[in-house]
Amino acid sequence: MRLVIALPFAWLVVFFLLPLVLVLGLSFGTNSPDLAPPVELGLNLASFRLLFTDDLYLAAWLSSLRIAAVSTFGALLLGYPMAYAIARARPQLRPLLLTLVILPFWTSFLIRVYAWMGLLAENGILNQFLRWSGLVRNPGTILGTEWAVHLGIVYAYLPFMVLPLYSSLEKLDWSLLEAASDLGAKPLPAFLTVTLPLSLPGIVAGCLMVFIPAIGEFVIPDLLGGTRTLMIGKVLWDEFFTNSDWPLASAVAICLLILLVGPIVIFQRHQQRSLERT
Amino acid sequence: MSEPIVRIEGLTKRFGEVPAVAGVDLEIARGELFALLGGSGCGKTTLLRMIAGFETPDTGRVIIDGQDMTGVPPHKRPVNMMFQSYALFPHLDVAGNIAYGLKREGVARAEIAQRVAEVLSLVKLDGLGSRRPAQLSGGQRQRVALARALVKRPKLLLLDEPLAALDRKLREGTRFEMVRLQERLGLTFVIVTHDQEEAMSMATRLAVMNAGRIAQTGPPHELYERPASRFVADFIGIANILQTGARRWLALRPEKIVLTSARPATAHVATGQVIDIAYEGDRSLYRVAIENGPVMLVAAMNVARAHGSAHRRGDTVWLGWSDDAGQVLDE
Amino acid sequence: MRLGFFACLFAVFAVGPAFAQKQVNVYNWSDYIAEDQLKVFTQQTGIKVNYTTYDSNEILDAKLRAGRSGYDVVVPTASPFLVRQLAAKLYQPLDKAKLKNYGNLDPKIMAELAKYDPGNAHAIPWMWGTIGIGYNVPEIKKRMADAPVDSLAMVFDPAIVSRFRDCGVMMLDSPTDVFPAALEYLALDPDSKDPAELERAAEVLKAIRPFIRKFHSSEYINALAGGDICLAFGYSGDILQARDRAAKAAQKREIAYAIPKQGAMLWIDTAAIPKGAPNPDAAHRFLDFMLDPKVAAASSALTGYANANIPATALLDKSITQNPWIYPTANDRARLYTITPGNAEQTRERTRLWTAIKTGR
Repeated sequence: MRLVIALPFAWLVVFFLLPLVLVLGLSFGTNSPDLAPPVELGLNLASFRLLFTDDLYLAAWLSSLRIAAVSTFGALLLGYPMAYAIARARPQLRPLLLTLVILPFWTSFLIRVYAWMGLLAENGILNQFLRWSGLVRNPGTILGTEWAVHLGIVYAYLPFMVLPLYSSLEKLDWSLLEAASDLGAKPLPAFLTVTLPLSLPGIVAGCLMVFIPAIGEFVIPDLLGGTRTLMIGKVLWDEFFTNSDWPLASAVAICLLILLVGPIVIFQRHQQRSLERT
Repeated sequence: MSEPIVRIEGLTKRFGEVPAVAGVDLEIARGELFALLGGSGCGKTTLLRMIAGFETPDTGRVIIDGQDMTGVPPHKRPVNMMFQSYALFPHLDVAGNIAYGLKREGVARAEIAQRVAEVLSLVKLDGLGSRRPAQLSGGQRQRVALARALVKRPKLLLLDEPLAALDRKLREGTRFEMVRLQERLGLTFVIVTHDQEEAMSMATRLAVMNAGRIAQTGPPHELYERPASRFVADFIGIANILQTGARRWLALRPEKIVLTSARPATAHVATGQVIDIAYEGDRSLYRVAIENGPVMLVAAMNVARAHGSAHRRGDTVWLGWSDDAGQVLDE
Repeated sequence: MRLGFFACLFAVFAVGPAFAQKQVNVYNWSDYIAEDQLKVFTQQTGIKVNYTTYDSNEILDAKLRAGRSGYDVVVPTASPFLVRQLAAKLYQPLDKAKLKNYGNLDPKIMAELAKYDPGNAHAIPWMWGTIGIGYNVPEIKKRMADAPVDSLAMVFDPAIVSRFRDCGVMMLDSPTDVFPAALEYLALDPDSKDPAELERAAEVLKAIRPFIRKFHSSEYINALAGGDICLAFGYSGDILQARDRAAKAAQKREIAYAIPKQGAMLWIDTAAIPKGAPNPDAAHRFLDFMLDPKVAAASSALTGYANANIPATALLDKSITQNPWIYPTANDRARLYTITPGNAEQTRERTRLWTAIKTGR
């Protein structure tokens, strides 16, 4: 029995806590390129000071937050009707529909992002189609813009939005909607006053599961985004690899972690409260 | 006679190949407490849901208060429903649940508060307005569901198995409470139930349904004493059904038969042997095998306190009944 | 020393190749050695080659700095990576007595490399090339008949580069490669570390920024070959690859490369043995094998880069050795330059400036 408890704990300590302590330790170090590893340990706050004083980092934070927020909202707008339709589909059909939602995971993430590059490029499939169909003579290029980044994030993380939404919508008692209608609610008010509040845990969970990885996303902005797309994940990469500045990269990682722990704690509180209610 | 509150004309509804409601005509008068009684799958709930507007009939019309409501969505009907599961909104408190329908109507806030308080008091839930449904007992939840439907002052209140989720003791008390409420408010109730005791004791009039059709409509005593068919005779209470000719039967209630040791002086007599006795306290139910005939059920009140039932198993007994004791059936 | 604890932790997480007798662990760029030659090496020496690849210097740098990488032979670019790694004492000196083929190396390239690795003590040159201008010939001609394709003005003069905006321009996402070129365009020292001069170079880059579709260090190969862009500032070998792909495509495109007449950066990829390599003897034998003219020639045929092996030239097809984009003319070669790395502060300042330019702030 003790072993059963000890194993996951050991796992967490070795693969989560230890690396975290390592990164925390590095973030207070001093960058020393002539050492290997290029860090002199100590209690140097210079990396954090630079993070909070240089407007480049602030701009990268804000831009990451904005991109993650817009993409999360996009994923919610697209994912909610999907989850709703699956939850209301015939029960025999639901496993198939859910499989279709997670089907893209069976292909490498990188290959799928490359496929989007092929779709969105100047001479890509989308533009070729638009020209061929005569709809648009001179379509602009989506690839390399922030739109392409949003599109990529929404596409890549949509299943993470749909699955928690589905699981909360599937539990929804549809007779509540009949009751609302019986009490005089038109379909839209019934949705807003019954379905939406009752699927709130799914909305929050789905949004967090998209928002959190989207903030630190590196591959999608690198491949689909333009050079103007500034994201904190890219900044971290640059600091670690290009500048070989491990303390600063670690400080960015620590701040990212702290920033993301906030919404998770709020979500946990919310879950706790709704558990107490029922 | 004034216009009935509900008139149903030739209503049918199929689910796939299965006809759930197969040609129903029905009128329900204002102020009635009308019960739709039947076994599971008889179509009573589908009929109720068509009155509420949750199901669209394949053919036929639903006329409520003189207006054709066929195809009108539930939220536009002057009808409210109390669901079998109660369907209380778990994210709203009791007051919020009750106020829901009034808010949709756009009733002023002050009036909502007043009407909610009134109806809470009516169903004896004063002071529980801020509780969540999950914090209530089953009986309290049932009354919240009732209050939520009542507060809208509907012309017609539909109740789908309103007492099924309550335990036996609570159920009997609640029955009378609901009847009193209905009389006091002068509303029309339509109750769907599978429990004949409930239907008989509450309803002013009831309809027995079988296989998507109405077998018989009438006041409780009429259905009991004058069943129109072997199905109704058998479904409501207990009946001995004796074949008296080709397509002619006699439905005879056990309590309409006298049970004696000596031959009685009634118009009809039979003799046989007691094969089973069910002692029920106030009365005993005897199964008597008639010589060269069927097994008949006879009820006798246990008037004497001395011993249980008046006759013993194996006793030879006489059964007797008068000319008008039973109902002659031809279907 | 406090770092000891962390070094141990790193060792736990660093996943190095398995240790075995008679084995050499080689970590190389992808598509950078003729892989059929690896079998020949094993046949000749009985040493098994554990061959893994990477596609950026940064990844190699991070692995080496984390310690205990377990690699015997790695292939860093001379500047700024090898230099920085030498400063961090990540390599062991070569035992030249074990390198019988050492004399094959091109003394001119050796002299350039010695600027980074004094006395060529730690590394041997492998492949080298230039950074220049790749372009789609008909698309450029259509927009500007007299386009100065062999001048840095092609990418750094806003009046010129703006004319190609509609057909697409890409540039390397690498401050170490682009700043020197911008300095050279301004007729300043490409190796300058003077903040004022770098600021002037940044002004040049900011002025052309609106006309650059993307800064990226590899995407331009496909983009140029596929017709998505018509102009790129990139590595000679990559642009040759784009040319070959474009020639094979269904819709043929003519891609050309030009070494800027103002001068071009010479880059050298080197082979070296990390400190703590588990099989130093096998590593030396592998380096000696790389110095074999047959191996170098076969690899140049594969990559389209010039090697630093003089006898290999004779073994190569004339289409490679006489291609001035691969083996530049004496005239062009005289104008090639190399740069030295800056200190940590200079590196950060340059990266920051670069990010600001790219994101247009």
